[in-house]
Amino acid sequence: MLNPLHHLRLLPRDSRDTLFMLGVIAWVVLPQVSHLPLWCSLLSGAVMLWRGWLAVTLRPLPARWWLWLLLVLTVGATLFTHKTLLGRDAGLTLIVVLLALKTLELRARRDAFVVFFLSFFMMLSNFFFSQSLLTAGAMLIALLGLLTALVNAHMPVGKPPLLQAARIAGSMTLLGAPIMVLLFLLFPRLAPLWGVPSDAMSGRSGLSATMQVGNIASLALDDSIAMRIRFEGAPPRQSDLYFRGPVLSIFDGRNWQPLRSGLPAQLRPLPNLRVQGAPVNYQVTLEPNQRPWLLLLDATPNAPLLTGFEARMTPELQWLVERPITDLLRYTARSYPDFSHGPLRPVAGLQDYLELPFGFNPRTLQLAAEMRRDPRYAADDGTQLVAAVLQRLRSGGYVYTLEPGVYGRDSADEFWFDRKEGFCEHIASSFVILLRALKLPARVVTGYQGGEQNPVDGFWTVRQSDAHAWAEVWLSGRGWVRVDPTAAVAPGRVGSLQRLQAPRGVITEALLGNVSPALALNLRAVWDAVNNRWNQSVLNYTQRTQLNLLKNLGFESPSWEDLIYLLIGIVVLASLGGAAWTLRDRLRQDPWLRLLAQAAKRLQKAGVPLAPNSPPRRMAEQMHARFGPEHPAAQRIGDWLLRLEALRYAPPAAQHSRLPALQREFKRLRWPT
Amino acid sequence: MSVAPSWPHPLLHPVAHVRAQFQRWWQARLPLTDSFTLTQRNVYILPTRPGLMLGVTLLVLLVASINYQLNLGYLLTFLLAGCSLVAMHVCHATLRGLTMHLIAPDPVFTGATAIIGINLENRRQSTRFGIGLALLGSSHWSWTDVPAQANATVHVAFKPERRGLHRVPALTAETHFPLGTFRVWTVWRPAAQVLVYPAPEPHAPALPLGEPRAGDAAAAPGPGSGDYDGIRAYRRGDPLKLVVWKKAARANELVSRDTQQVQRHELWLEPQKTGLPQPEQQLSRLCAWVLQAEQQGLDYGLRLGGLEIKPAHGEAQKRRCLQALALC
Repeated sequence: MLNPLHHLRLLPRDSRDTLFMLGVIAWVVLPQVSHLPLWCSLLSGAVMLWRGWLAVTLRPLPARWWLWLLLVLTVGATLFTHKTLLGRDAGLTLIVVLLALKTLELRARRDAFVVFFLSFFMMLSNFFFSQSLLTAGAMLIALLGLLTALVNAHMPVGKPPLLQAARIAGSMTLLGAPIMVLLFLLFPRLAPLWGVPSDAMSGRSGLSATMQVGNIASLALDDSIAMRIRFEGAPPRQSDLYFRGPVLSIFDGRNWQPLRSGLPAQLRPLPNLRVQGAPVNYQVTLEPNQRPWLLLLDATPNAPLLTGFEARMTPELQWLVERPITDLLRYTARSYPDFSHGPLRPVAGLQDYLELPFGFNPRTLQLAAEMRRDPRYAADDGTQLVAAVLQRLRSGGYVYTLEPGVYGRDSADEFWFDRKEGFCEHIASSFVILLRALKLPARVVTGYQGGEQNPVDGFWTVRQSDAHAWAEVWLSGRGWVRVDPTAAVAPGRVGSLQRLQAPRGVITEALLGNVSPALALNLRAVWDAVNNRWNQSVLNYTQRTQLNLLKNLGFESPSWEDLIYLLIGIVVLASLGGAAWTLRDRLRQDPWLRLLAQAAKRLQKAGVPLAPNSPPRRMAEQMHARFGPEHPAAQRIGDWLLRLEALRYAPPAAQHSRLPALQREFKRLRWPT
Repeated sequence: MSVAPSWPHPLLHPVAHVRAQFQRWWQARLPLTDSFTLTQRNVYILPTRPGLMLGVTLLVLLVASINYQLNLGYLLTFLLAGCSLVAMHVCHATLRGLTMHLIAPDPVFTGATAIIGINLENRRQSTRFGIGLALLGSSHWSWTDVPAQANATVHVAFKPERRGLHRVPALTAETHFPLGTFRVWTVWRPAAQVLVYPAPEPHAPALPLGEPRAGDAAAAPGPGSGDYDGIRAYRRGDPLKLVVWKKAARANELVSRDTQQVQRHELWLEPQKTGLPQPEQQLSRLCAWVLQAEQQGLDYGLRLGGLEIKPAHGEAQKRRCLQALALC
């Protein structure tokens, strides 16, 4: 009975190499699976399993028409899924399938090249979705695996152990690392060469420009970091940490969208921002969100300090820059938690905030009509109506949940009367619809709420799971007033350290069930701090940091031409280093052989005919034949040569210790001429 | 002398002609030596097609990193570039410092395959992987690894097309290790020569008749008389042709013709006796006869132009005769 491992070891070299290659490919593709269409993952997985089975059972590869068939199917399916063959997502799908199909014709070792190059594109595409430390580590392993496969493919003799190829690949990577560091530090950072295709934006999670039921649900489950904040002085209360994102004012029954006012800019209501009280100063490191949005605390009257961008404020108090943020961005801002804004008297523009789509949510409209008819609110300016709606949320059996299920056409009706459960998005949307039905101007504000402090480095972390939607209602004499209906339903969601945990899957439960919460929190804090360092030093390495580096190196007014000069200078130095390495390589010759070669040179100079590669004994014989056995110098040299030969067969330790003595003696010997 | 005698026509293939001219001139400059140490001066390096593809890949990765502003993409691109650079040096170092010794080849017959042994000597303290040797211009590679501070021997075959003393054709050593992105090679013209005998004629007719020994002319028997009359008991090593099968069948033991008795005549091999018009065909038949006579254990002599080799037999005689046939 052979055990399976033994069987693997007995496989012929080609099968072993193929299995290793398949493993590397799987490792490269695996992180992408969640971004790929399901059919693509399944097809590639099946093809690779098939190839592995063929390799293990030593069966012949399928005929070429199989490949063509699969290829045509793939292209068709890609067209069907993405509606195009161009662009990032379709390209990624195609590359993955091509990679899998290529393994079916891995006949010659040179086929490894195609796999190698395709894999590099795959690795880079991983970075579209994540540039975290974890991704970097995984891709480093992938790189080592690919290099190992390639080195192995160029060892044509016998069946070299993979570990040997891995060692060579590893040392090459180690030697290549300084070059990487240099180029990374000094290669001039350029602006994008042309417009980034739009589909690059959809991949990463973040706040969205529009709001649809279920959209923020996926965010709430996403624990990745949206931004990091360092407060100067005491941080504000948790319940004041509202980071303002897009303000959504147009509702078509399904989607909330930002207001695109038909009014010219001069006629639009001014922000009319009034601030008081003590300001909060802080520094934000914003993860790239692929949007032109700066996220700032409510409310920030003055533009934050940042480089490379021009910030401006919308009438709805949101801060924008002129192009999407594709890089880590750091800025400093001053905000006032105590503020008010908006017109104090009714103006024309407020009409936009009362519109509702026709024919949606009839029961909600009816409820509003009933409330309007209620004599208690006859003389109300809106304050009491808002309070009444909040009271309804508080006491009407409404529940905050992350898994409300799919809502139908009349989402507000379903929320108010049928399901009575949802998360901030459902609550805010239904709340605003009801207020509008009550003839109170209202709108939805999205952004982030809360955050937590990392005890290791003191930074505050705001995660995608802190994404939030709340409401603003306009009240005569007070302007726009923030109302957070979610706080009425689930007071714990807003303003406390307790985060609503996303429901854990079975596996996570099994893995993390036994870890104490405090330990888990600590581990996460350390991990976040490490990640933060990674972000600040690697991902946030921009042209400005680059020029600062030059300044520290002593350049007066660094420009990117200086970077090129520095790079060229270092390349010249490196070439000299390479020459030195070659020299060292030559000197690294075995010292015994070097000594013998020196002796041979002296003897040849003295006219002793020597065959190449003569052993010392033969050299001595030749020398005695030339000078005669009585020649005193020759006798001593002959004696020395014999001892040199004896040393060659001594144990290695003795060779090491006794060679220097022979070397010294060599210098003292008198050579005949 | 050359193994590749057909040069491209200067008018039909001007580029190929110039290239061939250049290669001939360039090869002629190389020293003839049987021990060849590879140094910076005689090891050449160029990127391969996959190497150029890697360059393009690097460029695409760089542009993607710039366009999507991926700092991790920069890291990947630069690490890969660094590895390729290191690989280039490793590739060059695989051949640099290697010493190749030619093992003198044995003489061969025209049309047979001559095996050239090459001893590779690695004085470095690390293994040199994936070194291939081949005749210059052929694509039959013999691959080997040379362990640290050790030797390895590879064999390269070539088929000489004409008889004579040929110089061993130019050899080339090549490696693509470690990534296959660069081709590092060298060209070596060994000084050793290989002796090529004429091709023995297949199914050559029987040996010509002997001449009466000098001074014994009267006793010369006429053609067709029974000249092999002495017999003796079979001795180990007697060629089968000497066995008298009829007698053996009757006597129940093997009986051989006594060659001492046979050699009343001297067997002289001469071009005239072949009855062939073409000199090369004559040599071919003479070659076959030499082998035949040697196999039968006969004494034989060779007259070739002004050269005369006295009748004898044995390995030395065979060599002497074949060499004369090869070089005349």
